Formats: sequence, structure tokens, C-alpha cells
Amino acid sequence: MNNNFVSKGTLAGGAADCVYWDRVLAKQCRMYELRNRERISVAAASKLMANMVYNYKGMGLSMGMMLAGWDKRGPQLYYVDSEGTRTSGKVFSVGSGSIYAFGVLDSGYKWDLTDEEAYDLGRRAIYHATHRDAYSGGIVRVYHMKETGWVHIDNNDCNDLHYKYQAEKEDLENIVD
Amino acid sequence: MSLLMKPHYPDYSSAPVQHQFSPYADNGGSVVAIAGDDFVVLGADTRLSAGFSIYTRNQNKLFPLSKTTVLGCSGCWCDTLTLTRILKSRMQMYQQEHNKTMSTTACAQMLSTLLYYKRFFPYYISNVLVGLDNEGKGCVYSYDPIGHCEKATYRAGGSAGALLQPLLDNQIGQKNMEIVSSEPLSQEKALAILKDVFISAAERDIYTGDSVFINIITKDGIKEETFELRKD
Amino acid sequence: MSSVLCPEIPAAGFSFENCRRNALLENKGLTVPKATKTGTTIVGITFKDGVILGADTRATEDTTVADKNCEKIHYLAPNMYCCGAGTAADTEMTTQMISSQLELHRLYTNRIARVATANQMLKQYLFRYQGYIGAALILGGVDVEGPHLYQIYPHGSSDHLPYITMGSGSLAAMSVFESGWRQDLEEEAGIKLVRDAIAAGVFNDLGSGSNIDVCIIRKGAADYKRTYDEANKKGIRQASYRYPRGTTRILSSKVVDVEEVCVQRIEPERMDTA
Repeated sequence: MNNNFVSKGTLAGGAADCVYWDRVLAKQCRMYELRNRERISVAAASKLMANMVYNYKGMGLSMGMMLAGWDKRGPQLYYVDSEGTRTSGKVFSVGSGSIYAFGVLDSGYKWDLTDEEAYDLGRRAIYHATHRDAYSGGIVRVYHMKETGWVHIDNNDCNDLHYKYQAEKEDLENIVD
Repeated sequence: MSLLMKPHYPDYSSAPVQHQFSPYADNGGSVVAIAGDDFVVLGADTRLSAGFSIYTRNQNKLFPLSKTTVLGCSGCWCDTLTLTRILKSRMQMYQQEHNKTMSTTACAQMLSTLLYYKRFFPYYISNVLVGLDNEGKGCVYSYDPIGHCEKATYRAGGSAGALLQPLLDNQIGQKNMEIVSSEPLSQEKALAILKDVFISAAERDIYTGDSVFINIITKDGIKEETFELRKD
Repeated sequence: MSSVLCPEIPAAGFSFENCRRNALLENKGLTVPKATKTGTTIVGITFKDGVILGADTRATEDTTVADKNCEKIHYLAPNMYCCGAGTAADTEMTTQMISSQLELHRLYTNRIARVATANQMLKQYLFRYQGYIGAALILGGVDVEGPHLYQIYPHGSSDHLPYITMGSGSLAAMSVFESGWRQDLEEEAGIKLVRDAIAAGVFNDLGSGSNIDVCIIRKGAADYKRTYDEANKKGIRQASYRYPRGTTRILSSKVVDVEEVCVQRIEPERMDTA
């Protein structure tokens, strides 16, 4: 999205829904910026999104998204979905493989993670979701939302990650032996 | 055992079968697109069918939108006609308003928006849009019926899409192979693979056959070609 | 008698034990696996000295071709053949069973079985199952009464006709017969007419395709011409699709020492024929 947000849409059912409404939200945020000479807050942006899709509730829209951004109040993370839910929190995962990702996230999350630790936790969470969920897979992308804007960390094929993690596990077993 | 003891009679008490209007038809057809560094090839079979019968063996399913952009459609033919008519008029409006032709990337976004506009009564079409981008590189955009757009370098869509995509993944994407050539894809190789995958599709998909209509898009313009397939 | 490893050999006939369970599952939204339909063109005509049967060789599963060269003309007796359309397994098993009964009948009566007998056996069998055995058949043969051709529907009705088409390509094939069939056709002309009728189905009906099989039955001799005409030639590939050695990654390997494997030969016992 624009400079101050990363908006992540999971493609549960409605890939077109996520991409389209993300684009509409991006336009709204840009309009806000031009009118008010300051960036919209993450809370406001997520509420715009939630209100927009709430108008179509029950009509078959299918989307779940996380809005991550940095505004006057600091780093923000919101969850919004097509049912009209909107909540802020510290850890989220969305989509068909989210239950698997949550398992990994909850076991590894603490508030004082270093950057590298956080990247690895996110990557592992997605990897384990791709491993158990038939509808998730492909490339694992990692982005870092900083005060200055988002930074793309890396892309990894989940197939490569599988063999990497397996090798790490075997090494660990050898040490224990 | 209870089945043996109780005689079983057919159930004639159910309500009569309701015949309701269906706005959609599946007219079949397949589209395949392969992009290279300075070209893109797009092919669609020319069979138009419904159920077990063939309407025509010679239907062009490729629609040139500009000198560097072509759209390939398969699925519900009446929706294809409507969508391409709207697209062409939108292309003309853009030309007259801005005094320049719409770029392939802009076309791709416009198609996505046009499709999403009918989110709750979609155009039942599998679309593949190809063209040259602003740097002259070949690009392929594929869509689902409600407008989700994905940029790729190769794509198979339509009735044999699920049959052909894994083949293209292997032959063009060089997936699941250890020995991989680093040479860029040549136009001749792309064209040969395009024709070969249609031969394979015609073998196993009843909606693909008769012939393939091919567009080769380079900076010099659009070259047309046809290729015969089996007709059963 | 029965054990866990070797259950009793079931009684002859169908097993209906899963019917209630499957109906329940279907009601709950489970999609039932689809049977292979032959989606076919089959034809038969009478000519001067006998009958000619014809069939295409495509079998379909929904919109994909399951078999590009299947056999749809089934053997019943030395003087009788039967074309089958509909559910592939049903046509195959029905004709096999009737074939076996006809052979027993022939041995019992010491006479060449009549086509009318085969027709009666088929229709009574199909009627018993109320159309649930999805076999649409064209029965042709020559007996003491001369050449006969029967059309049998899955529900058990039958017709005795001079020329017949069945399957999804039946309309295309019938148009050829209606314009070209005459009484007392010569064999050459008859074969050509059958070929053209099947070709009409092959090209104009999406459920039919590939090759054309023909079977000519004259008095005292049947001539089954498998792949009488290859109506469609497969396209010639332009690129090579050979993979060099080492293309597939080896994830793990295991060597089995063959010398340690013991091979024991068991002498076959003679059957007691006393």
C-alpha cells in the first residue's frame, strides 16, 4: 500500500476481494493524506476498511486482512475481516492455514524479540502453515514495518525452507546424541 | 437385511423437476500464453462448443486491444462478447481523452476493475491478457472470473488449463528439475511448446480441438499464425 | 470356514450392503465418484448377407478423455456381437455374462444360439434392474432365421430394426443412415455406410472420437475389424521432451542384496479329471 502501511490480505476464497478492496483503501488513504496534509492513522484506515466491507456483509465477500503500520501512536497491528470484525493486537495470523501459524507464533512470541528472531518466527509460522494446510504454499515473503516505512526482508521458497529446517533438526539431534 | 424384507418401490411422489433459467453457458476452449524477454506468444483453440456439440470449428478467441496488447478469452462466449465490447470502447475513450494509447499494465488493471464491477454476477470467462510492458518486455496477466489479477511469464487457462499449467511449470518454469539451462527462452522454443501443449490438450480435453489461432507480439507488431489440431 | 485373512467367497450377484450408507452420505453432501461413461457413437445395419456393427473408441470421464482406444464391440457368441454405450463397466460385464450363458445354452441345446434368445436374455436382465444398469446395446448376429439386429435400452425395452444408432452421437450417425441406407446393400457399400455414420459421430459429437471399429457378421463367419479406420491422426510434436539423466533429484537410495532373496519353485498340481 502506501508508504506508511503494509496491508496484508490473505486469499481465503476471495483473492479478487482482497486485492480490489486493498486498492480502494489505498486510494482512500492517499485522499486523506492530500486533504489533511498528514498520514492517516492505522486505526482510522482499518476502520475505513471494516466499514466498507460491512456494507456487503452476508453477500459473499470473503477476506481476512491484517493492517500493520506506524503512526503517531507507534507501531500498530489490526485485524479486519469481511464479517466486520476489527481488532488490534500483538500477534495475528489469517487465512486457512492460520491455526497452524498461530501455534508456532504463540510458542515463540515474546515482546522483546530481536529483528532477526522476529523474521525467523514469522517465516517458521508461515512455513508450518504451508506444510499442514493444502491451500497454503509457494513463496514465504517477509516484510518489516519500520517507523520510516516498510522494508522487504527476503523471499524464500517453502520447499527450500522445508529441507533447511529438516537439516537443522537433524543437526540438533546429532548434538544431543 | 432390512432391504430384503421390505420391498423397495421407486419414489414417484417427489415434485416435478424444475427447469429454471441459467444465465451462463460453458462454451469451452483453452488459452495459453508464454512471455519472453522481447516477445510474447498467445494461442487459443478455435472450437466453440456447448454440451456434446460443436457450434463452430473456426472461432477466433483472441482480441487485440492495442498494438502491443492482446486478450485471450474462454468460457461463456456471450460474456466474452460483452466484456470485449466494453473493453474496446474503454480503450477508445482513453485514447480520445489522453491522446495516447493505453499501456499493457494499465489495460491489465482496467480489466481487473471491470471484472470486479460484476462481483455478484460475474462474467464467466477465463481471461489471459498479454503484451509488452513499458520496457518492451513480454508479460502475461491472468484473471479469475471476478477480477483477481496475477502477473506471470506463462499461463494456461480455460477448459484444459488445469491439464496444461503443470506441463508449462515444468517445461518453461523448469520446475522440479536438477539440470536447468540458463539460456533465456527463445521465440522459436516458446512457439514450439505452445503448439505441442495444444496437441496434448486436444488428446484429452473434449472441448479443445480443431485448430489453434496464435498471436506473436513483438515491438514490430502482432504476427498471426494458425495451427491444425485433431477434429474429433 | 472364513477367517480374517481370507473372507468367504461372496454369493453370485450384486452386493447392496453399502446402498443405505451411500444414500445417507450423498444426502449429507458427499459427491459420489463418477463411473466412466463411454459417451459413444455405436451403429448397426443389416445388409444383403448379414449385419455390420460399428463403434468409435473414445471413453470419457466428464470432459476428459479416459480411454483413447477402448473396445465397444463385445463378443457374445461366434455368430453374435454386441455394441455397448453408456456406463463402460455395465456394458462390459453385462455382455460378458450373457456371453457365458449363451455358450452354456449352445452346449446344452447343441445348436447355434439364436439372436432372439440373446435379446430376450439381455432385456430380461436389464429390466430386472430398472435402468440402474446403464447399458444401451445394439445386438447383431446371424442365425438360422437369417440376419438380425436389435436395439436394447437400459430399462429393458427392445426393438428389431434394419438399421440402428445409439449413444450421444446417435443423431449424427442416424442422419447418415437415413440418407444412405437401402434394402439389400452390398457388403462393400454397407461397410462404407457404417464407417461414414461412425465418422459423423466422431467429428460432430464431443463424446465420441478417436478410431472406428467395424464388425461384419455373415452366415457362418464373423469378421471383427479392430481399428478399421484411424479417423484422427495425432499431431506431430515439434520440440523434444526427453529428460537428460540426473534431471530428477535423488532424495534417498537403498540397495537390496538380491543374492539373499530366496526363490522357490512350486510344481503345479495336475487337476483331478477322473
